[in-house]
Amino acid sequence: MPRITLNKVTMRFGDIYAVRDIDLVIKDGEYLTILGPSGCGKTSLIKVISGLWIPTEGSVTIDGEDVTDVPIEDRHVGYVFQNIALFPHMKVAKNVSFGPRMQGRTKEESKETADKFLKLVNMLDRLDMFPGELSGGEQQKVAIARAMASGARLLLLDEPLSALDARVRMDLRYEIRRLVKELGITVIHVTHDQDEAMSVSDRIVVMRNGSIVESDSPMKLYRRPNNLFTAYFIGETNLMEGMVSDKDDRNILVKLRDGTDIKVGGNRQFNINDAVVLSVRPEYVYTAKEGLSAKVVQVIYMGSYWRVVTRAKSEDKVEYNIPKHHEPPAIGQDVELVFNRKMSIVYRRPKEGIAEAVRLE
Amino acid sequence: MPMSLTKRIDDLSSRRDIRSGWFGIITLFFLAFIILPTVYVLIFGIMDFQNLSNMVLDDPEVMSLVWGAVFTSFSLALIVTIIDLIVGIPMAWIMVRKQFRGKKLLDTLIDMPLAFPTAALGFSIGIFWGLPVEAPVPPGALGIVASPYILIMLLHIIFTYPYMVRSLSAILEQIDQSYEEAGMTLGASRMTAARTITLPLFRAGLITGFILCFARSLSETGGTFIALITVGQADKFFTGPTLIAALKNDLVLGTTDVEAVLAVVSIILIITAIIFLLIIKFVLGRVGVPFDKVWPRWERVLSRGAVPKAKDVVSFVWLFAIVIIPSFFIFAYLLVPSPADMDWSGLLDALAYSFMVAGVVTLADIVLGVPLALYIARHKDKKLAQAVDSLVNIPLIVPTTALGFSLALFWTTQGLVTNLTVLVIMAHIAFTYPLVVRNVAGAVMEVDPSYEEAARTLGAKPFATFRTVLFPIVRSAVLAGAILAFTRSLGETGATVAVSPDANTVPVYIIGLMNTGDYYLAAVSAMVLIMVSFVFMFGLRYVIRREGGTY
Repeated sequence: MPRITLNKVTMRFGDIYAVRDIDLVIKDGEYLTILGPSGCGKTSLIKVISGLWIPTEGSVTIDGEDVTDVPIEDRHVGYVFQNIALFPHMKVAKNVSFGPRMQGRTKEESKETADKFLKLVNMLDRLDMFPGELSGGEQQKVAIARAMASGARLLLLDEPLSALDARVRMDLRYEIRRLVKELGITVIHVTHDQDEAMSVSDRIVVMRNGSIVESDSPMKLYRRPNNLFTAYFIGETNLMEGMVSDKDDRNILVKLRDGTDIKVGGNRQFNINDAVVLSVRPEYVYTAKEGLSAKVVQVIYMGSYWRVVTRAKSEDKVEYNIPKHHEPPAIGQDVELVFNRKMSIVYRRPKEGIAEAVRLE
Repeated sequence: MPMSLTKRIDDLSSRRDIRSGWFGIITLFFLAFIILPTVYVLIFGIMDFQNLSNMVLDDPEVMSLVWGAVFTSFSLALIVTIIDLIVGIPMAWIMVRKQFRGKKLLDTLIDMPLAFPTAALGFSIGIFWGLPVEAPVPPGALGIVASPYILIMLLHIIFTYPYMVRSLSAILEQIDQSYEEAGMTLGASRMTAARTITLPLFRAGLITGFILCFARSLSETGGTFIALITVGQADKFFTGPTLIAALKNDLVLGTTDVEAVLAVVSIILIITAIIFLLIIKFVLGRVGVPFDKVWPRWERVLSRGAVPKAKDVVSFVWLFAIVIIPSFFIFAYLLVPSPADMDWSGLLDALAYSFMVAGVVTLADIVLGVPLALYIARHKDKKLAQAVDSLVNIPLIVPTTALGFSLALFWTTQGLVTNLTVLVIMAHIAFTYPLVVRNVAGAVMEVDPSYEEAARTLGAKPFATFRTVLFPIVRSAVLAGAILAFTRSLGETGATVAVSPDANTVPVYIIGLMNTGDYYLAAVSAMVLIMVSFVFMFGLRYVIRREGGTY
């Protein structure tokens, strides 16, 4: 059972760093997702793990054995490609039995293995078809069967669902999770889709500009992200600039740009006069008799709720939700906003400015 | 035990040092056996400059002959290419943008001249347009072109035409028609849209077409020489390559040192060809034609009614009157009564020899060309691979006559190879090798590397990956390259003659027959050569067409 360790892995092309000084440990049977905007180095990282690329510096160990210089074909790592990459000239059966055949197993054994894994993904009836005759979702299921049939105990998924339709994507992601958990396979899944990452992972690693921002369980990353970028990238959030104006042993007081004081629980590491950013997700913003004054600029029907977009007096854009059966406010109406004290998080204001700190590319 | 051998290669291919070593050997072969012999005559010229200048350069009579021939070659190539361009653009447009009945047939007809060995083509053109001195003229010949220059021009237009139409339509097919449609919804007439939007995107196709036609015209020997023999001008009117052929056949300059003159002609042809093609690439690549200006009223008038129809009609008339009918005219010889005693044995010998040469050449091209193509296509970020990628084109642009002479000079002066047949084979490999490499490298570049990566992650060694995944995907490109190489070798005259006029390939045999006045047998031999080439040509089309259907 593989336990993968990356030690100071760096991948450099000329002067450009694809990934830089990555340290990461992946546990047995863990479903790990590497999440980040495009160009953050997440694909580079799994290409290094798979052996397709050899890191410029650092090492990769699987089960304590250094595999940095082991050729791809001897690593027994299943890799599922974004563009699926089923061999177009082989039928489904031959594609899936390719791995066992290459490891020197007999035709009969290979076929048995292929059948077993095709059955697991419910594709046994497609044996005699060419990849071109299958739908995108079916092709990707076959590709997953192919990767697992090679006997891999570690599966690398490189944006496996991004080429598929929205509906298929949803169904397939749960199916993949069910499957790998059933077989006890370790998975490293790369994606830029935070919904996908949230819904399937045991743990998410957030990457940006070739480095790891933070890693934790989906719930922790959503509820209490340590980093401003994570708060912005996972889910939606309102970011407001301000300054710590007071603190006691339970709460701190953040003064926004218009002078409104917002009471926030915890966050006691800050001192008075620190420049900070307040982050509150829309579902923790409510209207009240008195609070932060704002004007409604847009109301959007989201199906299961209304999204109200306001421009606050503090110059911040603040969004909140109201239930679908409530009457939404009119555009131009004045509202007073308050925030859930426990679910408000305060970050030190980044030197480069908020926009730069959360920029995706 | 074949299984254990492939297994052993598989295991070896897993080692990086072995892989680099293998690609190193292939690159070395390419440099030492293809590139160096091709341009060796340049080195020879520098080393032996004193001798050459005494024998040739200081002889004004010889030099005027040489410069005259080279000038004829270049002016001819330029005019032919420009005419191809003018008639090729509308034809490419028809082939890509229009749907009509019989389009497949038209597609085949356009490729016809590629299947004609130029030696046969030269004969056909000579008797159709020209005024043959001795050859019997079948009924229906026009016999209206007295100028050898115009006759050769008409000949070169035929076999360069498919290259131009093919290069242009290949690019046109990749240009999304919606750009042009967007232009038209914004108020541009069809012609304005085509001219200002599609044509500028077309530049790559123009350059490829231009270079292919130009190089082919510059290099052509057999057809030109035979057409000139037919009208009795082979010892008076010369292009660069036919001057070499004439010298080799002792038609001119009986007294001077022929080898030295050959060296000078070859050097001038190679250098000017390379320089000229670099200039074309540079000029066409950078200088913008003033596409910006728009004449909405006139272009609107030209876009509607009779004008576009007339353009299409002219394209068809050109294809039939200038390209197809003159090419096929040689079959009119079937109407000429045959002489009583026909000796087939010479032709059969020549055919057997040609097939043997072409077969060995094709086999060598595949075995040694596919690895180089892989190297070029899969190491695009490496400097060496990029250099090799450009060097591969050299044998394509060097006139084959000069190539053959240079190659023979290289191996014989070193005393390494003296066997005539081996030399002919090596010369044919040199100019067909790039065809295979280009075809296969192009196909491999189209294949997403993730197929190979997937195979590797599934446990396949590099060589096993090539065998089981990459090769089956590009197999038809390999086959297409092989057929191209085979037919080119079968129809080649220039390189063979330059190595030795005694090498008994079919085109050389035909020249011999014409020199002795055996026109009827020459015509029959030409027809046989055409038929053989046709079989391969249709094989090629079958292979290429099937490619689309398998997956």
